[in-house]
Amino acid sequence: MQLAVNIVVLSAIYALIACGYVLIYRVSRVLNLAHGELMMLGAYLLLATAASFAGNPVAAIAAAVVLSLAVGILVYVFLMRKMTGEMVLAAVLTTVALGTLLRGLMVLIWSAQQQYPGQALGFANPAIALPGGGRISTFAAILVVTTALVYGGLFVFLRFGRWGVRMRAAGQNPLLAAQRGINLHAVYALAWGLSTLTGSMAGMLIALDSGLTSSMTVIGLKAFPAALVGGLDSLVGALVGALIIGAAEVLSIQYIDPLLSDVVPFLVLIAMLIVRPWGLFGTREELDRV
Amino acid sequence: MRSLIVAAAALATGAFSPALAQDAYVVGITAALTGPPASTYAPAVDALRIYIDRVNAAGGINGKKVNLIIQDDSAEPSKAAANAKKLLTQDNVVLLLDASLSSTYAPVVAEAKGAGVPLVFASSVCPKEVYPPANEGQFCTTAFASTYDSRAALAFVKETAKEPVKIGFAAMAIPLSRGEMEFAAKQAPGLGMTALAIEVIPPPTADYTPFATKLKDAGANWVFSWAPWVTQVRTFEALRRLDWKGDYIAWSHLEAEGELKRIKDSRLYVVGANALFEDKLPIQKEIADAAQKAGGKYPPEQMTEGWIAGMVIEAALKGAGWPATPAKIQASMQNLKVDLKGLRGGPIEWTKDNHFRTKQYYRVYKWDGSKVALVKNWFSYDVK
Repeated sequence: MQLAVNIVVLSAIYALIACGYVLIYRVSRVLNLAHGELMMLGAYLLLATAASFAGNPVAAIAAAVVLSLAVGILVYVFLMRKMTGEMVLAAVLTTVALGTLLRGLMVLIWSAQQQYPGQALGFANPAIALPGGGRISTFAAILVVTTALVYGGLFVFLRFGRWGVRMRAAGQNPLLAAQRGINLHAVYALAWGLSTLTGSMAGMLIALDSGLTSSMTVIGLKAFPAALVGGLDSLVGALVGALIIGAAEVLSIQYIDPLLSDVVPFLVLIAMLIVRPWGLFGTREELDRV
Repeated sequence: MRSLIVAAAALATGAFSPALAQDAYVVGITAALTGPPASTYAPAVDALRIYIDRVNAAGGINGKKVNLIIQDDSAEPSKAAANAKKLLTQDNVVLLLDASLSSTYAPVVAEAKGAGVPLVFASSVCPKEVYPPANEGQFCTTAFASTYDSRAALAFVKETAKEPVKIGFAAMAIPLSRGEMEFAAKQAPGLGMTALAIEVIPPPTADYTPFATKLKDAGANWVFSWAPWVTQVRTFEALRRLDWKGDYIAWSHLEAEGELKRIKDSRLYVVGANALFEDKLPIQKEIADAAQKAGGKYPPEQMTEGWIAGMVIEAALKGAGWPATPAKIQASMQNLKVDLKGLRGGPIEWTKDNHFRTKQYYRVYKWDGSKVALVKNWFSYDVK
């Protein structure tokens, strides 16, 4: 039972992070290599709001969520918008530079010290006993539920929401979408906002569960294979990819060698790239564009 | 805001250095200011910076200022190598320091050796080359010491355990941590303990529970971890979330004192070579005052390691006189004794053959229900 819980928790972490990669790629064809840093920034924003709204954790969390959304939109407005019309590679390299800058800024502002937003908010993180003998920490359970809600919400939003349909249209054919009167910049800004928001939620929940260090960015990078295995343009793919990567990692820890856990996601990724380079749920057309 | 952005970019790209002064002792350091284990190293470097600033404010050493050039290597060997090359060839440092992961050692040692500049490991684990018979160019001020630390931890476990010990080990996936845990696993049976699995945990890991699950399933009633703090503490907390009731002993890194207060678990022990601030020594008050005055980014109790490095560097440069050359500093360090005023159980004493210390002292602390308490007072091992 504990093994299953471990797989679900790790997969949920990767899935929540991976959907941010997919959202931006699906809409603008840009691989956001600063996603890990934006995720960590979300966690640090929670730390900051926890100090600002001392004694009011709900307000602190709400403020951090709003700020995360705003950060994503601002990144597009002030940085990525200028990359519109440029080569995709230039945009990707811009995200690398953004990530480097954010990493430095965060160390300067919050130092490299381990931080505990949960403690600052006055939250405890007791373990919950599950039927079958498994145990899960409170924030890990919240993370699993949040991941389910985020994916459910995104499916509904993209399928039925006005802006969701616009996002899909912009992703499928930006020229045609623009000719139909869709404001591409607003759509892209929304995609960046939502991507940063979901990534930040992952960062906040990981930080609430086990603390926050400046190494969190690497966790963001570890979720990247999940998005690729599932197919970069598919949310279902990100979910399934996360489950495959999470299961492979946990099972390798349990049954083969813990050291392999770092390598296994990339082994799975290489295998997928050999067999089906566009991912499980991706489309061939996307591969041509990459 | 613009200056903050420029500073951030400089820090992130490893180009953080104060202006050079020609008429000064130029000392360079490559350090893990960012990256997974930064929380173990960055406070020490901050403390060293504060110490050196204090020395400079008091007139310097032998009437000369010390120019400390800090480079971030993000705990990456390639960056550390580039930093070392830059410090040695462009900045012409007379003394090089490494405050980073053990995986950075090989390239930094190679660069320092090639330039004939002595290398001090400060706040990073002491490599075997500083133990007798020591390599002539390598020195170490750091509290933790491979093999000795495991001996001390296991001796404490044997003395404390009231039932047969089944001990598991948690390492970070870096060479020295893994090596130390393998050493400990080999030592344990000789002390009547059953050595269980060694969990080697990559840095960083999104969820430590799978590793903790394996330790718990193996039936460990003790776990020993000798790794950067993040690995030690997160493995412990993951074990507790799994309702594991055993005892856990970890190395007393800089973060230990604050973390014992946060976690408040009376079966979490930390073994270390530095006195914790709970001792309230005069020098600890001095460190706290200096940190506050300098606006240090880290709590004073995380500054001991960097402070000790500063004391040793000051003594070494003083002994080398002026003008200083790498050879004169190396000669000075080969005959050095620094009274640490209670920060450790004994002095740092370097000889021609021993660049570690002649005796290594240990203490064990834990949370006793109301405060951080001493569990076992100084005990020592001769370093031969």
